[in-house]
Amino acid sequence: MLTKAIWQAAGIIVLACFLAASVNLLRDSGIPFLGDWSADTRFTDDSGQSLVISLKEASRLYAENKAVFVDARPEYQYDRGRIKGAVSLPWQDADDRFLEVTDRLEGKETIITYCDGENCELSHELALFLSDMGFEDVRVLVNGWAKWRNAGLPTQGEGRDNG
Amino acid sequence: MDNRFFEKTEKIGFVLARILMGTVFLYASYDKILHPQAFAEAVYNYQILPDAAVNAAALVLPWIELVAGLCLITGIWLPGSAMLAALLMAAFTSALVFNQIRGLDVHCGCFSTQTTHGPANLWTVIRDICFLALSVYLLIRTVFWPRQKNGAAFGRLA
Repeated sequence: MLTKAIWQAAGIIVLACFLAASVNLLRDSGIPFLGDWSADTRFTDDSGQSLVISLKEASRLYAENKAVFVDARPEYQYDRGRIKGAVSLPWQDADDRFLEVTDRLEGKETIITYCDGENCELSHELALFLSDMGFEDVRVLVNGWAKWRNAGLPTQGEGRDNG
Repeated sequence: MDNRFFEKTEKIGFVLARILMGTVFLYASYDKILHPQAFAEAVYNYQILPDAAVNAAALVLPWIELVAGLCLITGIWLPGSAMLAALLMAAFTSALVFNQIRGLDVHCGCFSTQTTHGPANLWTVIRDICFLALSVYLLIRTVFWPRQKNGAAFGRLA
C-alpha cells in the first residue's frame, strides 16, 4: 500500500505541476517561473521603480551633506549604534512619531532609510510611507547599518563617536 | 465496547476527516491560485526556500493542494492524497514553527495572500498542528492500516 501511495502522490504532483504551468502560461497575471528576488526588484515604489541606493552613492551624499538618514529599526537598536546624525523613526511607530521628526527630514535633497540585514523590510516600508507623506526623493540603503559600519563610515551610539 | 458500533463510528469519523481536510485544502488553494504574485511574496518572506525556488513553489503548491483536496473528498487516489496532505501539513507546520522560534515576523499566507490578516502567531501554529494530526490519522488509516472490507482489521483491535 505504501508503494501505491507514493506512486499516487507522485502522480498528483505531476498533475499539479502540469496544471500550474499551463494556467500560469495562459493567464494574464502569470509570474515568471524563475523569480528575481534581488533587492533592486524587491525594494520598489508603487510604480515599480527601484528605491535602492548604493553605499557609494549614499556615502557621497553624506559627505556632501545632501542627505538625511532615517533609521527604521526599533529605538533601542538606534541607541546602541547608528549612522552618525541619523534620525530615529522606527517603522512600527512611524504614524505616531512622524510629526516629531518632520522638521529634521526637511531641507535636504534626499532621504535615505536603512535598517539591518539583507532581508529587513522596515527601511522599505518606511521609504514608501515617507513617499506617501510627500517627500520626493526617498531611497533605501539595503542592509544599511551593517554595510555602513563595515565600511568604517561615521557612526555614533552609546557614548561612542567615531566620526 | 460493541465492535460494530466502534467500527461504524470510526468509519463516519474517517469520512468526515477526509471531507474536512479536503475542504481545508481546497479553500487554502483558492486565494493562492488567484494571486500568484502575492503568494510568491509570502513564500519569499518565510526565508526558507532559495530565491530561485520561490516562484516555482508558489505556483505549484496551491495546485497540489487543489488536486489533493479533490482526491480526499471524492476518495480517488486516497492513499496518495492522504500521504501528500500529511507531508504538506508537516512542511507548513515546521516552516511556521521554525519562523516563530527564530522570531521572524511572517504572514501566514495559509488561507489568504492578503497581509491585512496580521502575522502568524501561536494560534496559527496550534491550528496547523490540529490539521497535521488529522492528516496523519488519514495517512495511517489509508496507507498503514487500511480497513479491510470484512472488518478484520478491527477484529485485531478488539
